[in-house]
Amino acid sequence: MRTWRVALASAGLLAGLCAHASADEPLFGFVYTTDLLPKGSYEVEQWLTTRYEKAHGGFSLFENRTEVSYGLTDSLQVSGYLIYDWTQAHHNAPDGTTVAPEQFSDYFPGPDDNFNKWKFIGVAGEVIWRVMSPYTDPVGLAFYFEPTLGNRFQEFEVRGIVQKNWLDDRLVLAANLTWAPEIRYLPPNPYADPGSVEASRNVNIETDLNLGAGLSYRFAPNWSVGWEVQNEREVNGWAVFARSQWMGNAYYMGPTIHYADQHFFATLTAWEQMPWANNYMDSSVIYKGRDYDVDFEKYRARLKIGYYFGGSE
Amino acid sequence: MKASFLLVPAATLAIISPAHAKVFMSIEQAQQLMFPGATLTAQPMTLTDAQAKAVESASNANVLNRNLSIWRVSTGGWFIADEVVGKHEFIPIAVGLDASGAVKDIEILEYREAYGSEVRNPQWRAQFTGKRNGAKLTLTDDIQNISGATLSSKHITDGVRRLLATYAIAIASH
Repeated sequence: MRTWRVALASAGLLAGLCAHASADEPLFGFVYTTDLLPKGSYEVEQWLTTRYEKAHGGFSLFENRTEVSYGLTDSLQVSGYLIYDWTQAHHNAPDGTTVAPEQFSDYFPGPDDNFNKWKFIGVAGEVIWRVMSPYTDPVGLAFYFEPTLGNRFQEFEVRGIVQKNWLDDRLVLAANLTWAPEIRYLPPNPYADPGSVEASRNVNIETDLNLGAGLSYRFAPNWSVGWEVQNEREVNGWAVFARSQWMGNAYYMGPTIHYADQHFFATLTAWEQMPWANNYMDSSVIYKGRDYDVDFEKYRARLKIGYYFGGSE
Repeated sequence: MKASFLLVPAATLAIISPAHAKVFMSIEQAQQLMFPGATLTAQPMTLTDAQAKAVESASNANVLNRNLSIWRVSTGGWFIADEVVGKHEFIPIAVGLDASGAVKDIEILEYREAYGSEVRNPQWRAQFTGKRNGAKLTLTDDIQNISGATLSSKHITDGVRRLLATYAIAIASH
């Protein structure tokens, strides 16, 4: 415990002490834009994402991310970050038992346990390559690559980002298509049926396919408001076009507010899952039209804060 | 246990400090720099609906403020104080026109953004000198982009093009 504490605090402080930085300020909480740091600029960002309310019982998940970004060139940005989560769950599954969220799927709480756990999820790297700028081309276009390595967990996220600006770049529309296969190396589940795959060590492969969009308007100097919407689909295995492997299909949307000045920014987004969900593999996780499988919940909120060093002097 | 989670955000928050706008020069200083020894007389005016539309049509740039802050120069020419959209805040600029309506000089009066202050570079600003209404004044065409300061470069370029159209449509006959 002490080791983690020291490591995390050190990472945060190191991030804070990096000199000469600038910004790729996020207008949205979940949707990415094509804006990147200029060459040679640094930035530190802290994300706090809370996900809560299941069909039954008590549930909350806090996803935390501490990130340092650097502009390798004006159109190529690299980042590194730490991901660490905390969760509390009790009688939260659709059948009224306690189940851990997907990030904690290598833990198997008893059906009546009050599950309360923190976990270091992993270390991630991120590369964003901007091919076209919304300021000098008809649209902005960028590609995002993010490998994550963790204990019993690997993920590779690829995202296409499109951005169009209007009204002197104060009105911004951004859209993302994300493909993210995840591999989890799971220990035996003591509550699984004997003889089932889950009863022994197994490898779980799942692919997330998300389509998101956001519209933001800068209504006053430093301040923008917007709206984000995202369709999230989960597929068992790799084959995203194999309908027999489709699992959850949920929609989230909600408002976002963003503040930024010369060195600091903050973005807050609140989402609610819309009652339009399907789960093609297990309809029992659908309750009142919403998907409450292990990676879905009713509400999500994300706060991003960031600081760019240096300045225009 | 949970307290350890607070350490990283706390460390991040600990480095945050208030930002300060960088004021490079006042309007009066810019006036003296562009027109040394001359007397400048304020002649504020407001664009009519028709004039604003004509400016937007001629310049392909939005008129954000119809109230013009303009000064007539005793030795000939005009001084215009204006603002263009920056990344987070407006960027106050000043444009000096000679007696024939050509750009004499432009100045960035204040800059509040984290990056992009290279637009103050005299060589970059010199690209506008001599430009008149009707010039292309388009970023990456006759005005070079400053990589890493694209948004500021674009909006200053658009702003000068708009002010030259404003001069031709409303100020020259004032």
